[in-house]
Amino acid sequence: MIFNSIGFFIFFAVVLAVLYVLPAKFRWIWVLAGSIFFYAFARPGYVLVPLLITVLTYYTGIAIEQATSEKGKQKIFVAGVCFIIAILVFFKYANFFTSTFTDLFNLISGKQVSNSLLISLAAPLGISYITFQAIGYLIEIKREDEKAERHFGHFATYLLLFTKVIAGPVERAHRFLPQLKMPARLTYDNFVIGGQQMLWGLFKKIVVADRLAIYVGAVYNNYTHHSGSTLFFATVCYVFQIYADFSGYTDMALGFSKMMGYDLMQNFNRPLLGRSVTEFWRRWHISLSTWFADYFFNPIAVAKRDWGNWAVIYASFVTFTVLGFWHGANWTFIAFGFLQGLILAIEILTRKQRKNMRKKIPVWLNDGGGILFTVAYFGLSSIFFRANSVGEALTIIKKILHFNGPFFFESASLLMFMLAGIFYIVAHDVKKEFFDKRFSLAQNKYWVIRNGYYCLLIIIILVTGVFDGGEFIYFQF
Amino acid sequence: MQHNNKSNKSFRYYLLQAVLFIALLWAADLIVGKILRHFYRRQSSGWEYATRYSAEETKADLLIFGASRAQQQYIPTPFEDTLQLTGYNVGRDGTSFFYHYAMLQSVLKRYTPKVIILDCEYAALKNAAASYDRLSVLLPLYEDHPEMQRIINLRSPFEKYKFTSSIYPYNSMLFKIAVANLKSNKEEKEDINGYMPLHKSLNEPIKTFDYTEKYELDSVKVNMLRSFIDECKSRNIKLYLVCTPYYMKIKGNDHSLAVTQQVAAEKNVPFIDYSADSFYFNRPQLFDDTVHLNMTGAKIFCADLASKLKKDLQR
Repeated sequence: MIFNSIGFFIFFAVVLAVLYVLPAKFRWIWVLAGSIFFYAFARPGYVLVPLLITVLTYYTGIAIEQATSEKGKQKIFVAGVCFIIAILVFFKYANFFTSTFTDLFNLISGKQVSNSLLISLAAPLGISYITFQAIGYLIEIKREDEKAERHFGHFATYLLLFTKVIAGPVERAHRFLPQLKMPARLTYDNFVIGGQQMLWGLFKKIVVADRLAIYVGAVYNNYTHHSGSTLFFATVCYVFQIYADFSGYTDMALGFSKMMGYDLMQNFNRPLLGRSVTEFWRRWHISLSTWFADYFFNPIAVAKRDWGNWAVIYASFVTFTVLGFWHGANWTFIAFGFLQGLILAIEILTRKQRKNMRKKIPVWLNDGGGILFTVAYFGLSSIFFRANSVGEALTIIKKILHFNGPFFFESASLLMFMLAGIFYIVAHDVKKEFFDKRFSLAQNKYWVIRNGYYCLLIIIILVTGVFDGGEFIYFQF
Repeated sequence: MQHNNKSNKSFRYYLLQAVLFIALLWAADLIVGKILRHFYRRQSSGWEYATRYSAEETKADLLIFGASRAQQQYIPTPFEDTLQLTGYNVGRDGTSFFYHYAMLQSVLKRYTPKVIILDCEYAALKNAAASYDRLSVLLPLYEDHPEMQRIINLRSPFEKYKFTSSIYPYNSMLFKIAVANLKSNKEEKEDINGYMPLHKSLNEPIKTFDYTEKYELDSVKVNMLRSFIDECKSRNIKLYLVCTPYYMKIKGNDHSLAVTQQVAAEKNVPFIDYSADSFYFNRPQLFDDTVHLNMTGAKIFCADLASKLKKDLQR
């Protein structure tokens, strides 16, 4: 059941309708039951995996808190985290490690040993998100920044909430758990604001992302037959596709949650308008990048603080390589993360020079140049994100650099829809970034204009949306 | 009590807002949907026009059914000249048996053609979600063609409810409809009685593909193929199942084609197979790509097929 399916809308309507009539203190039971049903809907047996992680994290959290010595806390913490990571590795990375070791063995020994240890299990949906939330929760308890949750139902609802279980945001326990203990928050305003955000997310997903996906898929799945100019255009489209897809998903997750009275953290803040790659990562997948900053980057940078600037560079490389690997068990994702670490290191090393340079050139030129460079760099690294292998990505880059051959577009109609979608999403973000207070259709004080705008959004979805679209890209992580 | 009055009042207020919003949306949907319908039906060229014409207007004696390998390879003219029948190509790129069967229903509701050619291709009976998705080209005909509705509803369990929206049938067709309504497009017809010519020439050695794998067949498609044959036979329509030439050699036997041949034999319907015709294997210049003949190739193929049909019809 994906957010943009009719099945999900029916499911959500039932959940919401019952939620509104239930007494506040019992609502979590209904939400948890809905979440388990939602998760089990795709593959019933797989629901045991997140349930196991939930039970394990719940008791580990309490055990850490109750441990009397620092050493005891550490032992329980390490055991709990290792167990959670083992589950993640088993489902998501086991095949990657075994095939890498087999290839390495074959290379060194000159023999051809077949890989008989490969498991044919698909990773449970959202396994990376669930494990990261669980690990973050245990770290907070270990640091004594947070109390272990004693209400198992509330804790399970936090970890398994159906609006975020599959592709985030990577919600923090200290933000979410108190919301379950507060009185009813089912209000007209929450319903309307949530509905508006959900609608905007739906628009981004099925009008922009799914339309671009048709072209990007056609080109990237047959990259050997396409010219450099076509691959270049497909890569530009992919940047907007992945942004519209993932931020669209997040908007829908936040909107649905808001309608149920829960506030989830913002995950995107117009990242394609970041003036540097550093700024881009402050705006893109915020819940994940702040998770990595808090639990990975900062501890490494602090531990190596004697190294000066190099501590930050080292921490950047390690963090982003791991962040890349988090996305999937493939060298392409490691390369993607490495490229982010590399550019962040360069940005750190050139910080002073860039600051001096900024004083000498007009602001608009500096900002415009920064935005263009950031989008171009993200586009370049996204080739690794989209390609099936590093070799494939390098071939695509080589072809793009030659930039020759005929330009392919499937049909004029598709091209028009794609360009219109990109234009709309860019215009929306530019307006929000630079002219937010001037005029707003979405938040207009006049009922007719405000509702006319949302009505128009629905009409555009009906006229131009792709209703046979696939899953959200981030579901695979 | 006072609190109750206040909440009742605000509930009424919010309810009114919701009703007004739905009314606004309904009106906008209706107006935009009517406009799109008007311009859809005003088209006189292009693929959407060809689909509507096939379903609603053609009265040709000979009809050609199939996907792109029908639409882009069968020129009706050689058949018209050789068989002394009027012809029209009702094929549509990217479609499957669902489309062909829906189109047959629509045609048979209006008249009975004399001859039908049903193009058969590799993997035509394979279970594929795309086959259901591509029924989208028939959505604008849903309202006016109850005979097609049962087949279009295969798209999803919620399909019939989606037609609550007047815009939905024309989803993703805005630019196509706009372009087809432009004056210059109306004057320049892309097709020849439904046939859409291809003009490129292939220049590469022939390759061999492995077709030994027995993929999963779609039982609905197989049943539709059977029904297609039965309905033609019950109306005394002379039906030919044809597989056109490929510029590829295959290892093994395509599962779909094997089943189609088996059904044809079972139902005593001629199956004419050009897929392994060596004449075409040595002539890449007759192909636009490995699975489609260009116009030169199509002329040669159609002339040959037409003479075969003539012999068969004279028997």
